[in-house]
Amino acid sequence: MRRRDFLAVTVVGGTTAAVGGPFVLRRAYAQNPIKIGLPTVLSGGNAQYGTQVKRGCELFGKEINAKGGVLGRPLQFIYEDTGGDPATAVRKAQKLVEKDGVKFLSGTILSSEALAVSAKCPEWKVILMSTINGAGSLTTTAFHRYFFRMNTSGPMGARAISLYLGESPMKRFFGLGSDYAWGRDSVASFSNQITAAKKEVVGKDYPPVGTKDFASYISKIKQSRAEGCYLALPGQDSTIFLKQAHQFGLTREVKPIMEIVELENMKAVGDAMEGTIGSSRYPFTVDTPKNRDFVKRFHAMHGVYPDMFDGETYEGMEWLSQVIQKAGTADDLDKIIEAWEDSKYDGLEGPFFMRKCDHQAVQPGFAVQAVKDPKYPHLIPKILATYPGEKVTPKCRTEEFS
Amino acid sequence: MAFVVEQMLNALALAGLLFLVSAGLSLVFGILRVVNFAHGVFYMLGAYLGFTAVKLSGQFWLSLIVVPPVVGVVGALLEASTLRFIYRRPPIYQLLLTFGLALILEESIRVLYGPTAMGVDPPVFLQGAVDVLGAVYPSYRLFLVVLGIAVGVGVWLFLQRTRAGLVIRAVAQNSEMADCLGADVARVRTLVFGAACALAGLGGVAAAPMTTAYLGMGISVIVDAFVVVVIGGLGSIVGSMAGSLIVGAAQTWGAFYLSETAMVIIYAVMGAILIFRPWGLFGEEE
Amino acid sequence: MTPARTRALALAALAALALLPWVLARHQLSILVDLLIFGLFALSLDLILGYTGMVSFGHAAYFGLGAYGSALVLIHFGPPVPVALLAGTLLAGAVAAPVGWFSTRARDIYFAMLTLAFAQLLYTVAYKWRDLTGGSDGITGVPKTTLFWGGPSLAEPRAFYYLVAACVVLALVACRALVGSPFGRALQAIRENEHRFVSLGRDPRPFKIVVFVIAAALGGLAGALFAPFRGFASPEGMFWVLSGQGLMMVITGGIGTLVGPVIGAMVFILVQEILSSYTEHWMIFTGLIFVLIVIFLPGGVVGTARRWLEAPR
Repeated sequence: MRRRDFLAVTVVGGTTAAVGGPFVLRRAYAQNPIKIGLPTVLSGGNAQYGTQVKRGCELFGKEINAKGGVLGRPLQFIYEDTGGDPATAVRKAQKLVEKDGVKFLSGTILSSEALAVSAKCPEWKVILMSTINGAGSLTTTAFHRYFFRMNTSGPMGARAISLYLGESPMKRFFGLGSDYAWGRDSVASFSNQITAAKKEVVGKDYPPVGTKDFASYISKIKQSRAEGCYLALPGQDSTIFLKQAHQFGLTREVKPIMEIVELENMKAVGDAMEGTIGSSRYPFTVDTPKNRDFVKRFHAMHGVYPDMFDGETYEGMEWLSQVIQKAGTADDLDKIIEAWEDSKYDGLEGPFFMRKCDHQAVQPGFAVQAVKDPKYPHLIPKILATYPGEKVTPKCRTEEFS
Repeated sequence: MAFVVEQMLNALALAGLLFLVSAGLSLVFGILRVVNFAHGVFYMLGAYLGFTAVKLSGQFWLSLIVVPPVVGVVGALLEASTLRFIYRRPPIYQLLLTFGLALILEESIRVLYGPTAMGVDPPVFLQGAVDVLGAVYPSYRLFLVVLGIAVGVGVWLFLQRTRAGLVIRAVAQNSEMADCLGADVARVRTLVFGAACALAGLGGVAAAPMTTAYLGMGISVIVDAFVVVVIGGLGSIVGSMAGSLIVGAAQTWGAFYLSETAMVIIYAVMGAILIFRPWGLFGEEE
Repeated sequence: MTPARTRALALAALAALALLPWVLARHQLSILVDLLIFGLFALSLDLILGYTGMVSFGHAAYFGLGAYGSALVLIHFGPPVPVALLAGTLLAGAVAAPVGWFSTRARDIYFAMLTLAFAQLLYTVAYKWRDLTGGSDGITGVPKTTLFWGGPSLAEPRAFYYLVAACVVLALVACRALVGSPFGRALQAIRENEHRFVSLGRDPRPFKIVVFVIAAALGGLAGALFAPFRGFASPEGMFWVLSGQGLMMVITGGIGTLVGPVIGAMVFILVQEILSSYTEHWMIFTGLIFVLIVIFLPGGVVGTARRWLEAPR
């Protein structure tokens, strides 16, 4: 055999052998665990969010299994990498359902992934629990009974910061959202609410996703004479924007306001972000005994402070476990859905209530500010105001607020 | 007036950055006839290595000098161990090889640095802003303009006025003939590839203080680089400069007045050039 | 490879395709449908890449168009799936006609760049035309309907599988016939030496445009099958990364062999699936395997297999 052909056989043979591998390895798990499938993003540009999903699950899994699990069965988390691509997300989710037999899916990061996977859940008869996805449509036009959102949605975040700004002396705002679903929807949501609060939106613009030079937009914002600029840019883009805005001195004249204030951003941007205000879905600085203890345990296990999705994922898993316990079964989804609807949960940041009409968890909303604190290696979200759940959650199946 | 000055400087700064990235791409195509899909990843590598260099030494200028050659060496090694063997094959193979290399490199960077973006501060001298004709403008962006011009002139002089540059141009025109005349074609190719990667790396080091070093910066810049190179002319340094100015201006002014359609217009221009004058504004007609 | 041997292999493959759904577990069948759909995508690309020598960086755009066409028809009108398939295929082919006409004015790398530019344009339109395409969220909830009016439901996995398998087999047969015909031989002549072709007094451009449209239509068919299978259509289906992956699938399987790219798509997807369950860093290994294939196995799986089988013993 020639060398080239030997290589060919090795490649082909190795691939074939590898096909059998996973089937053997998966058998290693024993004791009839309750499986939760997580088709999340572990590679590529959004991998930091998948990392948060993993961290939250790992901490919760370790703790609950040490106490004997749920209904006497251990929790098992199965992670799959979707790379941020909805086609891959559906493929991986389908594999988790059909091959691994999971009845619970979570960890979807992008709205496109969540919508695609959610649409399949009634067909597969599995529950999709969102701990990250903010797209309003998931609980309105795309709602079905197998979907539960236990996190703060995009409109809720915009609402919280609008409530705060309604009471501030600022009157003129600019809206800058990345040119895709979330960016546009968030700016629209904020714009509606801030105008209802009798303030003025002096300009809106939508830079393409992946913009690396915001200079022109910064010029526009300066020219508009806005006092505050509402930003709905995905993680990387917002980091770049904040850095450049700081270099242009914009942040001194115009207050940056963000729908989501994340630790990831604060670490990447650094001090240039000091003073930014916005909403946070889970600020780790919430001062309740339960949360302080959680932060300590989280830091002990992972060496970092919990970011928004770390916390929300942990809460989601805890709530799901409680619901399964209450329903007395991890396999009869109808019973679980019934147990979950109209149920309460004592979360890290306050009380949660799962609405029956749209499966949106009613929860407190927070307006926060990025401040320096010598105790921490990066900026932290200081809570400026806390709003009770009823004030920040929209009316059932709509994006309107009372 | 201040506004106009600001926008012009924005366009120039962006052009400077685009030039640093696309010059190498243009050279590799003109001289090796290879479309290097991994080019964006070398740019990213430069940004990340720049971050490390600044962190270790605290000196931005040092990293500007040290990192590009390192990136160049990485590129040269990759070329010598992979591309070198497949030059005689149809171009699709070389293209896809660079695609595969891009995957490997990009993921390796993620393994080494993790998924979070890394901020780099510009040197103290360049922090802050200066007054230019009434506009308060960040000094670092002015530096990008100067750097772009300096590098452009430097590379052009090298290719046009030195003996090494002559050999390189000979290989570009007719590699077999150059080989007969005694040029070490393989070595020229490796050097050019390495130099192109070094240029991309320089672009990355220079860009990091403005954009941070982040995963996916390679993908976001490669399409822009292709547009610049097509408009300017594959293989021409002057073309890359012209293309960068055009695309930089279009993106800057376009973002201000027509943000949603700016890219569409650029693609249309690219298409028109490819149809009516494929060798670009300054390329050589084939 | 003697004709008899080829026929035997083909029959064996057909038998396997027919029997596999009864042997495989449910999730394995899902994977197989995925492999077949992308196999069709790669096959369509081989027509222009392998047989006519045209490198297209924008082939994914037609996959995406097929998916959107099929998705929109199914969501708004709910006809039997084959109607949606037709819609997607026609949409892809219709858009490919002007694109092909413009792009073929240029040659080689410039042609490739043009296809990229057009594909990016289409991607941007899909991304921004939110009212029609759902924008970055895409169109979700695409149903699997029936085989024909009053006919069997395709919601059953095996039923849908047979539809996909039938499409792929028919496409293969059609392409085989096409490349064997005088038209097909003209394409190969163009690939071998376009200048010669011109000097013989023939214009390559109409040939190129026609094969470009056919390839786009078949790519659109793959996308049209994808939409009801996965239940959605999104801009990622048009993105240049998918185009690049298509090229990789063709090379992996064997350029210019028709059946090679189908196998190449399967290998490409399976390797990624398997690697990604083992490690988060599967991209490194995928890239590495691919680089090795490009350097050492330029004929791809099928090309190498053929050489091996024909080697003197």
